[in-house]
Amino acid sequence: MTLVRWNPARELASMEIDRLNQMFSDFYGGVSRSWVPAVDVYETDTHEFVLKAELPEVKREDIDITFDNGVLTLKGERKAEVETSRDNYHRVERHHGSFTRSFTLPATVDAARIQASYKDGVLTIRVPQREEAKPKQIEIEAD
Amino acid sequence: MMTQQWDVMRELATMQDRMNRIWGNVYDRGREDVSGAGAWLPAVDIYETGDKEIVLKAELPGLKREDIDLTVENNTLTIRGVRRREDGVADGQYHRSERVYGACSRSFTLPNTVDPSRVKAEYRDGVLAVRLPLREEAKPRQIAVDVD
Repeated sequence: MTLVRWNPARELASMEIDRLNQMFSDFYGGVSRSWVPAVDVYETDTHEFVLKAELPEVKREDIDITFDNGVLTLKGERKAEVETSRDNYHRVERHHGSFTRSFTLPATVDAARIQASYKDGVLTIRVPQREEAKPKQIEIEAD
Repeated sequence: MMTQQWDVMRELATMQDRMNRIWGNVYDRGREDVSGAGAWLPAVDIYETGDKEIVLKAELPGLKREDIDLTVENNTLTIRGVRRREDGVADGQYHRSERVYGACSRSFTLPNTVDPSRVKAEYRDGVLAVRLPLREEAKPRQIAVDVD
């Protein structure tokens, strides 16, 4: 077993950020708590937008993706464990409840060809752009 | 000067921002640690089921099975993993990067009542579920009180 030097700063940071956020969200949110999944967005060489959202253990049928007026919205819910009651928890760090995130996409996206897949807890949404959105090489004419 | 009513909520929100900034700075310092410890900590739930086993669930979305390493040694359960960046995507192609990449590691001390030889784990939908059955003798027993 490798021994790791105890780093109070790391310990505190990991503890306090989560706890404080929890405290504040409890205070603001009351009963209906929501969470924010982490999302990466990148553009491929073929000018397709790829959006990847971390949604571990969210069922496919509990994820709702809509595209309306240039805004892509993902909504969903992670339901609590069925095999146990809250009293039997020793540690709760994961978020349960609903989430919503929206992203404004450029007008050049091809809404009809948006595709989504879910693997290993990551939702991948591929948003291709229309042909005219792709960069064009412009020739300089000589006199 | 305009007089404004004191707004507790706004005051608190400002405070939260400030605190996050303070802890964020400490956190960044922690990340530079080169001791080999994990750079990020997966969120973990631990609960006990009715069948007398402890279940530990760690969120490891986007990891490959072969990049997850689970060991039990001297009553310490350690989860290690690596989340790798997308192949062929340069930093400049990112519009938004919120996910954390690199190595993660977390250790938990198991109670003596766990039977380490029967620990089972599965990875599904980005969650590693470790099932730790309790020893027979650890289960509650009814003790009859004899009457003289």
